[in-house]
Amino acid sequence: MESQTPKTRSIKLPMPPGLDNLKHIVVLMMENRSFDHMLGSLKAQDPRIDGLTGNESNLDTTGATIKVQPLAEFQSQLDPDPDHHFPAVDLQIFNGDNSNPRVATMQGFVKSYFNQQHDVPHSAKILYYFPPEKLPVLSTLATEFAVFNGWFSSIPGPTVCNRAFAHYGTSFGQVSMNIFYVLEPYKSIYERMISASPAHTAKIYYYDQASSTIEIVNLLQHQPQLFGTYEQFLDDCSKGTLPDYSFVEPNYSDHDGDNGEEVASDQHPDHNVQAGEIFIASVYNAIKQNPALWESTALLIVYDEHGGIYDHVPPPACMPDGFVAQPNDTGTGRAFAFDRLGIRVPAVLVSPWVPKGTVVSGRTFEHASIPATVTKFFLGDYDQRSPREKAADTFLDLLSLPVMRTDGPDFQTD
Amino acid sequence: MAVIKVPKPPQSAFDKNRPVSALLRNQILHLHEVERKFPPSRHSGIYINEIKTEGEAADYIRKVTARLHPEGAKRVRFDIAAAGQAKAKSRSKPKGKKS
Repeated sequence: MESQTPKTRSIKLPMPPGLDNLKHIVVLMMENRSFDHMLGSLKAQDPRIDGLTGNESNLDTTGATIKVQPLAEFQSQLDPDPDHHFPAVDLQIFNGDNSNPRVATMQGFVKSYFNQQHDVPHSAKILYYFPPEKLPVLSTLATEFAVFNGWFSSIPGPTVCNRAFAHYGTSFGQVSMNIFYVLEPYKSIYERMISASPAHTAKIYYYDQASSTIEIVNLLQHQPQLFGTYEQFLDDCSKGTLPDYSFVEPNYSDHDGDNGEEVASDQHPDHNVQAGEIFIASVYNAIKQNPALWESTALLIVYDEHGGIYDHVPPPACMPDGFVAQPNDTGTGRAFAFDRLGIRVPAVLVSPWVPKGTVVSGRTFEHASIPATVTKFFLGDYDQRSPREKAADTFLDLLSLPVMRTDGPDFQTD
Repeated sequence: MAVIKVPKPPQSAFDKNRPVSALLRNQILHLHEVERKFPPSRHSGIYINEIKTEGEAADYIRKVTARLHPEGAKRVRFDIAAAGQAKAKSRSKPKGKKS
């Protein structure tokens, strides 16, 4: 745990140098890939990483055992987009078990994907994962800095409600892609920051206007001053004018831009995974190439949810959120009290103050950990937060080195 | 540590005619909910039920986002070498290289 916030540092023990130098937190949230799919292969390099042994399996709809295989491709493999709405994720976790209580077996992924095309061989692809050499950016950052064994999506459901947890610490009862509205007394982390005394700075950087943001109805509509573009993010990194807290969104679509064809970089199936690798590298490079920024910034790379793709770790129970989604909303015939997390996702913390090869084990994180961490560091005590956010673990204690590292990797992307 | 080369996606990665995903469809619906509050003179003029492809979705999203956040259209001059050489090289390919 990080021991002090800036407000209290004078009356408590000295902070570790990494925290004492920390001025910026940057979160890059990618789309729809599970931990095992992206990083599970790293277990072969480092057994501390809770990835794949190669023996994990599901039964297909003929009853045959299908094992995980390192055959994931960058594109054109997970088409159609694997279902990751609440009922499908329920099937993936519980394999159709409707008893009470029921056990999360993670045995329903192949069955769930089969439901979309009724193609048995195709359904096995939901168990494919990437070998590390195919993901040089994410794999390298995971092994060079800190990789989380237990970062889960906040809800066993799709993008919008999961991203809400990163912005608000709650989805206000939503388990779907539908519009949600902010309910008092909760405020977004950005509004908390700019309304603090003394005020802090915070911004959501969307890629460009044609990609825009997922956070439209509540923030873009009412608080447009909180937004910038990715080009502005790069400029802010270069000039040293990055806000205290930045949230970066990738490009969500293939479209024509001012500079030519813009390839989607969000890694959402069936978008190209290599384009996302380059985007991750560009965010990292932009921070690292400004030395003053590099030594004062913590970069979290995390995925919003698993996208229907296999992971072997059952999601744990969690602090109920204070909301209940009704059976008609969940689509499962059951109410959901936000008392269980979603499926595990890749998460990597990058900072020159993080020991090389850190594997974060025995702790549980979720997207509410993001506003919880930012609030704790910049604002200190702040009561008007959801029960989930108050209970969420924070991650800045990982900046624990007494001396800054100088050996971070460099990525060449042209 | 040695410099790690990150491969570019192939030209075939780009397909603005790809059908819209559930994510983009919902992003459109959210923007449309906001657009309905604009005066008629500021509507995009796009009938969202006719949006079928990512390219069409991007056109609509760009138009409505420009009304909500016109500052996002401003071009920023910056030193690419200092800001991360990946940006200009990776995120875009010149038009016309692929249909």
